[in-house]
Amino acid sequence: MLENYLPILIFLAIGLAVGGGAMAAGFLLGPHRPDAEKNSPYECGFEAFEDARMKFDVRYYLVAILFIIFDLEIAFLFPWAVVLGEIGMFGFLAMVLFLGILVVGFIYEWKKGALEWE
Amino acid sequence: MGFDKLVFYVFAAVLVFAALRVITCRNPVHAVFYLVLAFLNSAGLWLLLEAEFLAMTLVLVYVGAVMVLFLFVVMMLDINVAEMRAGMRRFAPVGVGIGILLVVEMALIVRSSAFSPEKFGNLVRSPADYSNTKALGSVLYTEHVYAFEIAAVILVLAIIAAIALTLRKRPKTRYQDPARQVSVRREDRVRLVDVPSEKRG
Repeated sequence: MLENYLPILIFLAIGLAVGGGAMAAGFLLGPHRPDAEKNSPYECGFEAFEDARMKFDVRYYLVAILFIIFDLEIAFLFPWAVVLGEIGMFGFLAMVLFLGILVVGFIYEWKKGALEWE
Repeated sequence: MGFDKLVFYVFAAVLVFAALRVITCRNPVHAVFYLVLAFLNSAGLWLLLEAEFLAMTLVLVYVGAVMVLFLFVVMMLDINVAEMRAGMRRFAPVGVGIGILLVVEMALIVRSSAFSPEKFGNLVRSPADYSNTKALGSVLYTEHVYAFEIAAVILVLAIIAAIALTLRKRPKTRYQDPARQVSVRREDRVRLVDVPSEKRG
């Protein structure tokens, strides 16, 4: 089974070599004369107005967590789709119940207004 | 078998290095990148164990979704490193205590008979057409259907908990209600007023 994944390993190695090689070549071959002005941060030629880091609205995490939950739900669908022919009606109904429970949660969050971006 | 072993040692070495960098990096953004590297390498190790579906799920869910969200939050959040380091001496005993507890627990589990190499015997490589996903699916939805449905309930629990913790309505913000926009009629918006023209005398 593992021999099927050999192309991916080769791909990883080539990707690392090309990515790392380009950066190493730029570092080794390029001119390297930094000074204080070159290294200072700026926005459109001005001094930076404020820090890029700031307080975040907690609603961002709500959208993020809801996304991850449904992402996990999708992960359960893949093996189910692969073996659907073998597990028959029982497996089908198991997934229907699984999705039914999650649809309850989906209706809850929809009605609660968690999906609305004000 | 030799090449397998080489790949294992490369993945394991990078994994240990990345995990160490996660906790020693000064910059939290770099720490998150090292955590992504650690996940990718553990996915490689799982693949060597022929757990291909779990390896792909690790990359898809953790690297693809969870870590990207982590990264956005860590990049944007204002983290005052000096302030976080202030309580170091006060919290060190608690941290060290919990660390030792974790190490002891891990040692007990890893050295227990359930994880002993004799229990598994020699790993026999599966043929090229073996599908780990198929093997997983054929038991997950039949034999372990109860655990599967419990997983659904836990996911719903996570939905409800996330909403209960973070959702609060702001009465002042304005947003569009498409249903109202569509159903509005001319009479609701436009009022024609008859104004008698004045006669200039």
